[in-house]
Amino acid sequence: MIYRLRHTTRYEYASMVTLCHSEARMLPRQLPWQHCDESEITIFPITVSRCMHTDVFGNRVLYFSLEEPHQSLGITIDTRIRTSARPAPVDNGRPWRSSLALSVGCQERLDTAMVSVDSPLVVSSDSLRDYALPSFPEHRTALEGVLDLNQRIFNEFSYDPGYTTVATPIDDVLLNRRGVCQDFAHLMIGCLRSLGFPTRYISGYLETLPPPGQPRLIGADASHAWLAVYLPESGWLELDPTNGSLSGEKHIINAWGRDYADVAPLKGVMSGGGSQHLTVSVDVEPLGETSSPP
Amino acid sequence: MTLGMTPTPFVSTKEHDANLAKLLRGYTPAQGFDALYDACGQLRPHWHEFLHGFVAQGEESIRQRVNEVQRLLHENGLTFKGRDAHSTARHWSLDPLPLLVTNGEWAEIEQGIQQWARLLNAVLCDVYGEQKVLREGWLPTGALFQHGWWWPACHGTLPDHGAALSTLGMDLICDTYGQWRVVTPRTQSPLGAGYALENRIVLARSFPRLYRDAPLRRLAGALAEGHQTLRALGAGHREHPNVVLLTAGPHSDGYLEHAYLASYLNIPLVEGQDLVVREQRVWIRTLGGLTPVDVILRRMSDAWCDPLELRADSILGVAGLMQAVRSGQVHIANPIGSSIIEHPILKPFWPRLCQTLLGESLLMKCAESWWCGEPEGLERTLQELPQLVLYPCTEGAGAIHAAALSDLDLESLKASVLERPDKYVAERPMASATAPVFDMEHQQLVPERLSLRLFASLDSSSVEHGAGEVSYNVMPGGLVWVGEPGQSAFQSSVVKDLWVLADQPQPHVSPLRQASAPLVVTRDGVDLPSRVADSLFWFGRYGERLDNRARLVREAFVRLLEQDQASVVDPSLNSLLRILGHGSITTSDPAARFGQSRGCLKDEIEATGPAGLMTLAAAVKRNAQAVRDHLGDDAWRLISNLGNELAESHSAMSGRRACERTITELAAVFGLCNETMPHHYGWRLMDIGRFLERCQNSLTLLSNALIDSPADESAGAGEMMLAATDNFTAYRRRYRSELHPNALLDLLLFDEGNPRSIGYMFKRLKRQLDRLPQPNSSSYRSEEQRLLILASSRLQLAACRCSRSCRIARFSREQTGAGDSAGRAVGTVGSLIGCHQQ
Repeated sequence: MIYRLRHTTRYEYASMVTLCHSEARMLPRQLPWQHCDESEITIFPITVSRCMHTDVFGNRVLYFSLEEPHQSLGITIDTRIRTSARPAPVDNGRPWRSSLALSVGCQERLDTAMVSVDSPLVVSSDSLRDYALPSFPEHRTALEGVLDLNQRIFNEFSYDPGYTTVATPIDDVLLNRRGVCQDFAHLMIGCLRSLGFPTRYISGYLETLPPPGQPRLIGADASHAWLAVYLPESGWLELDPTNGSLSGEKHIINAWGRDYADVAPLKGVMSGGGSQHLTVSVDVEPLGETSSPP
Repeated sequence: MTLGMTPTPFVSTKEHDANLAKLLRGYTPAQGFDALYDACGQLRPHWHEFLHGFVAQGEESIRQRVNEVQRLLHENGLTFKGRDAHSTARHWSLDPLPLLVTNGEWAEIEQGIQQWARLLNAVLCDVYGEQKVLREGWLPTGALFQHGWWWPACHGTLPDHGAALSTLGMDLICDTYGQWRVVTPRTQSPLGAGYALENRIVLARSFPRLYRDAPLRRLAGALAEGHQTLRALGAGHREHPNVVLLTAGPHSDGYLEHAYLASYLNIPLVEGQDLVVREQRVWIRTLGGLTPVDVILRRMSDAWCDPLELRADSILGVAGLMQAVRSGQVHIANPIGSSIIEHPILKPFWPRLCQTLLGESLLMKCAESWWCGEPEGLERTLQELPQLVLYPCTEGAGAIHAAALSDLDLESLKASVLERPDKYVAERPMASATAPVFDMEHQQLVPERLSLRLFASLDSSSVEHGAGEVSYNVMPGGLVWVGEPGQSAFQSSVVKDLWVLADQPQPHVSPLRQASAPLVVTRDGVDLPSRVADSLFWFGRYGERLDNRARLVREAFVRLLEQDQASVVDPSLNSLLRILGHGSITTSDPAARFGQSRGCLKDEIEATGPAGLMTLAAAVKRNAQAVRDHLGDDAWRLISNLGNELAESHSAMSGRRACERTITELAAVFGLCNETMPHHYGWRLMDIGRFLERCQNSLTLLSNALIDSPADESAGAGEMMLAATDNFTAYRRRYRSELHPNALLDLLLFDEGNPRSIGYMFKRLKRQLDRLPQPNSSSYRSEEQRLLILASSRLQLAACRCSRSCRIARFSREQTGAGDSAGRAVGTVGSLIGCHQQ
C-alpha cells in the first residue's frame, strides 16, 4: 500500500514560553516492508537548533529547540510511505518453554536483552503471568501461545477511550478489563515478559476505513500502538491485541522501544507557558496499491 | 613546640620506650594479617618509626592536639550530610593516627587501581558505544539493561577519544591475608576526596611536627593534575575553557564537599538552575547574561541530569543537556550514564572482562561473586545462603547481608531468589585485616577493621594526544574509616588520614597551585550566577530579620525579668508581645501574666513557624550553605554555630543571653562579610537584602510606637524602639532623658547619618542599586531606582513639614504619610529586586 501520512501536533500555552527543548519521534522507520520517502518537516515558530540522531533502538529522533518567546508550538511531519506484507510467521514446532531456552545470534542477543526486562511503564508481575499462563499450556508452541493470548485480550477487554490515561498502571487495566491500544500493548508486553519473551512496544499508525457510504474524514485517524515479540527460530512477530490480529500492510511503524516512554511522539521541557492545550491530528491517506509517481 | 626547618631526629630514650609500651599495652590483634605487627609479633619498621615520633610529643600534648583536631573538624563544618536536611552534625571523629602504607605496598595498589580504571573505562565505552561485549554474550545483558541502571538516551554520547571515565573512587580493604582487594568502584559522584583533603589539612595543622617533614606523599599535586585534565577536556572548545562543578544542591549528600572542592579547584559551583542550554551549548546564567560552559565536573546522579531525555520529573537537571553532549559542545566528567559501572551484575564478570577487553589478568581482585541466573550459581547460592551477601539488580535496592536476617526473612529471601534468580548476584563477604586506631579516652591503640576510598583521575595526556593510551593517576592518599567491607563511611564514627610513605621527606605544597599556563587576571563581575546573587540577597534578608526579632525578644525578656511577679505590669511588654504577633494578655493575675508572657517568649525561640528564631537561624544557614564558596572561612565558622545557644536556652535568663549572643554573632558575620568579601554584585545584593529588611522592620516599629500604641503605652513604646535599635545611648546623648516624638522621628526616620534611620537606609540602598548592572546597559533609571527616588523625596518632604510644625498630633500624621510611602516603596523595591534577578 502507498500512503501519505500527515501527523500534526500543536500546543497552545496560556502564557509565554521563553525556551523549549523538544524531542520528536515522528519520523517513520525504514524497514524491509516499509519504505519511506524523505519526510517534510514543518515546525513553527522558527527553530534555532534542529538536529537528527538515531537512538539505541534504531528510531530516528529529531531534536529541536525554540529559543524566542512563543505562545504556541506546531510540528507537522508529512511522509509518503510504501508498505508491504510482513514475512509470514514460522512455527518452530517446539513446546514454548524449550524455545525460550534456545540461544540466539549476536545482534538478536542485544536487541532482545533491551526489551526483556522491566521498563519504566511495564513492570512484570505475578498477576500478569497468571493472566497469560492459560494461553501457554506446556505442550503449546510459542507461536500458538502468543496468538491465543492476543485473541484473549481482544475478546476479554473492552476498548474504552475515556477510561485510562498515559499514567494508568497496567494492573488497573488488567483488573478493570478496559483501556485503549496503548494499554493493551503494555498489558500484553507485561504478560509476555513475565513468561520470559522479549517484547517491544511499537508506536505507529493504522489506516482506518470510513463507515460504508461515508467519505473519509481528513485528520480523524489516530496514532496506534501494538507490539512485537521475539520468537526464537522465527524472529520478531508483530501482534495487535486491540484488533486481535497480526499487523499487516495497513500498520505503519513509527518507532519502537521498551514501552511508550521510549517512543513518545513528542516530548518537551519548557520554561514558562502555564497551562497548555494540545491538539493532535493524524491523517493516513491511501494513495493506491502500487508505486506510482505522485 | 619547635617550628625549625631541620627535623629533630627522633631519639629513642627510655621515657619514649615506656610511653610507647603504654600506647601499645592493650593492642591485641585478631587472627590474620595485622597492619601494626608482623606474623612474629614484631612491630613493623615503618610503624615503629612513626609511633616513636608520635609518643615523643608527650601524653598531655597529644590529648590537647586530639581535642584541637575535633574542634577544627567541627568548625570547618564540612559535614557529611545525611538524607535529613535538618541534621547538620557530623558524628565523625578524626583519628590522629594515619594509616601508613609503605612505598612498596603503594606501588602495588597504584598499579591495581590504574588497571581497574582502564577496565572500567573500557566497559563504560563498550556498553554505551560499540556494545561488543554485550553482543558476544560476555555479560547477562538482560540484567544489565535493568531500568534505573541503564539509560537508552546515553547510547552514543560518550566522547570519541576513548577516555570517557575521568574521575573514579575505589573502595578497598586489606584482607586478612594482607592482600589489597577491591570492594566496589564508584563512578557516579565519588564523595570523599574533599574529606581526605580536609582531614590532611586539619591533622597537619594540629600535629605540625609530625606532618611538616614527614616522608609522606602530598595530595595537592594530584588534585592539580585532576584540574589539568578537566581543562584539557575542554581544550577543544577554547583556549581558556570554562570548567564548573555541578552539584545537586544544598540538600544533597556531600554538598559541602562539593563547595569545598569547587573552592579548592577554583571553579564555580553551580546547580542545575544556574545552567541553561541554548543553541545546543551549555551556558551559565549570570547577572551579566549568559557565559558558555565547556566542562562540567558532575556531582549529580545520572537520572536527574536532563528532564528531557532522562527522568522527566527531575527539577535538578538541565533540559537539553544530553543534546549539548551529543553535539560535542560540552564535556561532562564523568559522562552521564557512568552509574552503569556500579551495577551489581558486573561484579562476577570483572576478571573475565579484564581479560577480554584489556587482554590482561586482573591484578587487584575483588570479592568472589557469581550470578544466580546460571544454574550452578543458583545452586551454590542456595547452599551457602546464610553466609552470603546478595545484591538485587533492581533499581534502588541495597545489599542484603543474609547473616543479619531472621530465619523468616531468610526464607522469604530464598523464595525471591528462586522466583527470579536472574535478578540476583551473590557474593562471599570479605574480611578485613586489623589496623591500629587511637583510643582517645584511654590513650592507647586498639585494633580495628578499616575501609578505604582512593581516588584516580584521567591523565591529561590521554585527552591531549587524542585516541590512544588511556592512563590514570592515583591520588596518594584517601579517606579511611572504621567499618566492615561494604559499610559506608556515612555510617562510621571514626575516620582516618592515609599516609603513603615516601623514601624521603616531601616538600609541603601550597593549596594554591603553581600556575602551569599564563593566567588571565580576573575580577568578580557580572559573571556571578543569578542563583548565587539570589541566595546572597536572602542571606542578607534573613540575617537582618533574625537580628531584628532577636532584639525584640531580648527586650521582652529584659522587661519580663525586671518586673517582679507581683508588681504592676510594664505596658511596653504588652506592646512588644503584640509586635511579635501574640495577642494581648488580658488576665489580671500577675503570676498568670508572668507565666503567659514567658510562654509566649519561649515559643518565640522554639516555634517552628516561619518567624521562630530557630527557623530564621536555619534559613540564614541554608542560604549561606548555598553560597558557601562566596563566604570567608571565618564568617562560615560563625554561621555554622549560629543559633546553637538558642536551642539550649530553657529559662528567661538563658533566653535573653541566647538572643544577645545571636545578635553579636550576626553582627560579626556581616562585619566579616563587609570586611573580607570582595564587594562584587553578590555582596551588593546581600547588602540590599539587609537594608530592605531593616527598613521594613524599623517602619513597623515606628508605626507601632507613634501611631498604633494606646496613649498609655506610647512612651514605653518609644523607649522600647530605641532599645530595640540600640539607639538608646545616642538619643540620651542628644536629648538627655526627655522623650519627645519629634526627636525620635529625627533620629530614626530622617537622620541620614544614623545607620538605624530610614534616611540612611534609603541612601545606602540607592548607592547599591546605582552600582548594579542594568539590563541591556540602558541609561534610563530602573524601576527600583525610580521607586527609591520617590520614597526618598516623600521622606524628605515629611522631614521639612515636621521641622516647621510643633504639634505632636500632626507629626504622627506626617510620619504616617512618609512611613506609608516609604513602606510602599520598600515593598515594591523588594519585589523588583526579585524581578531584576530573573
